Amino acid sequence: MYQYSQADHQLLQERVSQFRDQVQRRLSGDLSEDEFKQQRLRNGLYLQLHAYMLRVAVPYGLLSSNQMRTLAHIARKYDRGYGHFSTRQNIQYNWPKLEDVPQILEDLAEVEMHAIQTSGNCIRNTTSDPLAGVARDEIEDPRPYCELIRQWSTFHPEFNFLPRKFKIAVSGATHDRAAVAVHDIGVRLVKNVKGELGLEIYVGGGLGRTPMIGKLIRKFLPPHDMLTYLEAILRVYNRLGRRDNLYKARIKILVHETGEEKFRELVEEEWEQIKENGLRLSDTDINNIKSHFKDPSYETLSDFDSDFDAQLLADPEFAQWADKNIELHKQDGYRVVYLSLKSRNQPSGDVTADQMDAIADLADKYSLGAIRTTHRQNLVLSDVKLTDLHSLWLDLKALDLATPNYNHLTDLISCPGMDYCSLATARSIPIAQALTKRFDSYDYINDLGDISLNISGCINACGHHHVANIGILGVNKKGIEVYQLTLGGSAREDASIGKIIGPAFTADEIVDAVSQVLDVYLENREDPDETFLTTYRRIGQDPFKEKLYG
Amino acid sequence: MALQVYTASLLKEGLVAYLCLDSEGISWTTDLNKATAAEDSDIDTLREAAERSDRDNIVVGIYPVLVEKTASGFEPVENREKIRANGPTIILPQSSKASTNLHAA
Repeated sequence: MYQYSQADHQLLQERVSQFRDQVQRRLSGDLSEDEFKQQRLRNGLYLQLHAYMLRVAVPYGLLSSNQMRTLAHIARKYDRGYGHFSTRQNIQYNWPKLEDVPQILEDLAEVEMHAIQTSGNCIRNTTSDPLAGVARDEIEDPRPYCELIRQWSTFHPEFNFLPRKFKIAVSGATHDRAAVAVHDIGVRLVKNVKGELGLEIYVGGGLGRTPMIGKLIRKFLPPHDMLTYLEAILRVYNRLGRRDNLYKARIKILVHETGEEKFRELVEEEWEQIKENGLRLSDTDINNIKSHFKDPSYETLSDFDSDFDAQLLADPEFAQWADKNIELHKQDGYRVVYLSLKSRNQPSGDVTADQMDAIADLADKYSLGAIRTTHRQNLVLSDVKLTDLHSLWLDLKALDLATPNYNHLTDLISCPGMDYCSLATARSIPIAQALTKRFDSYDYINDLGDISLNISGCINACGHHHVANIGILGVNKKGIEVYQLTLGGSAREDASIGKIIGPAFTADEIVDAVSQVLDVYLENREDPDETFLTTYRRIGQDPFKEKLYG
Repeated sequence: MALQVYTASLLKEGLVAYLCLDSEGISWTTDLNKATAAEDSDIDTLREAAERSDRDNIVVGIYPVLVEKTASGFEPVENREKIRANGPTIILPQSSKASTNLHAA
């Protein structure tokens, strides 16, 4: 992990001190709410439906066990004993008091964490592949590039008041596990035929009320030019992005209205002016950052273990979990383990303080003290020995973190919806829970195979419903919560936006509707290996419409 | 006739609160049933009191909410306001030593 320098520590301390003063001035009335709002948003503090909500950054989804313990401490001391991992790999607390927030930020600063730029019209926390550095399909570790972006974008004086919020994702593997296509800027690390490393730069992706897939505006950018090129994109956006209409202010609208080719020209023109400036990365710059992300001292182990094989045979429940929630690791004898935050007992992404403490202990015991968060609202232990898997599974099972459903139907993304969010127009968690209850069968979800089901409680799409194979959007229709179905979305390398299938369903109808959609898939797939998305793309919407609406 | 109460968020805690206006003056409660309700033109009195609390930095984001009088007390008309008044409609995750001081606000 990146270790803070003295300057980083000082920066955080000064920021906490500034915010403590701002809170005091707000409480004493020296600052009006209008004046204070911009300050609190710059520190991740929203005022939501029931209380304040504090969003804490988890830079590109990496946490140490000590940081996780601090998150548990905050949940327990200042909140109601739990936190919520979001679709941007951050954690949110739903009940902090305003007067406690400066102390929370101070506690976070002690473990090199903060809430800076987790809200407001600035460059937000960069997201990435939760398997960065350990994936077998990795071309290049994206974490150093994420860290370079973090350092460049934090308090960037030019980009602190953009037309709208700005999100960047970086992926370095063949498979896209960071949803790069639906970010304002998506970066994919690739290699050319000569084996040289470069960056594919996508711009103008996003969800919300106008979902769009990012456009590839640069096919191969040398890594040394990453920051100057990003700076050029941001400058064009900052200059030309619309500030007159909140709903047309994201860069995706600018790219769409300007046209891909013209937008590329504008960026290249800007880049020509600045490409040789001080932001150009030297080998030393890149290598200095890379030194923070060196491989740990892995043991030399066999990739086969007879005890593990025997445990799989002896314990079908363990075998189910191993089949669903474990992935191969680049290092023989190690595995990547997904901790499912999608049990039948808690909302998607929610973790109690007790669970956080226990996860920190498990990370220390089994996974070199590191934890990752995923944009699908799960956690990852990235470096678990094959020989430890059974013991770890027993511990996770006791913590209700071992539901065998990763990338399967009940691994569903859900935003907080109207149970918490002031923007939401419908509840999403109760629907997510009803779906989980209805389809809570290993055999059934195993038969369905790889599938994504996401739900958002409003058009802002924090639940990523547009890019789910089956998406659900909750809306308010004349005072009644209704739920619209979209089919055919994908957040991966074959990214696509789902299409609305027809009129919305009531809360009582939506679970049956999803069941009918699944029936159509099972009736039409060519063989059990054909995924839902492949079947949908092959047969189109009509069979689904026929089943749902007759 | 439309029965209304005034609501806002408490500045310090952020919790949902409702305006009480009586002979003792202005106060705010997290219990909707203790709120002061008014109809039509009388709502202006509540609005003025709420605005004063806003200016005095007691609450943030004041607005009126339509309610109905039922056997068990006031019930907001809109779903969103029902959830604000009663809290999340789901069972919240439970930890062993969660802070409880917020509930007493």
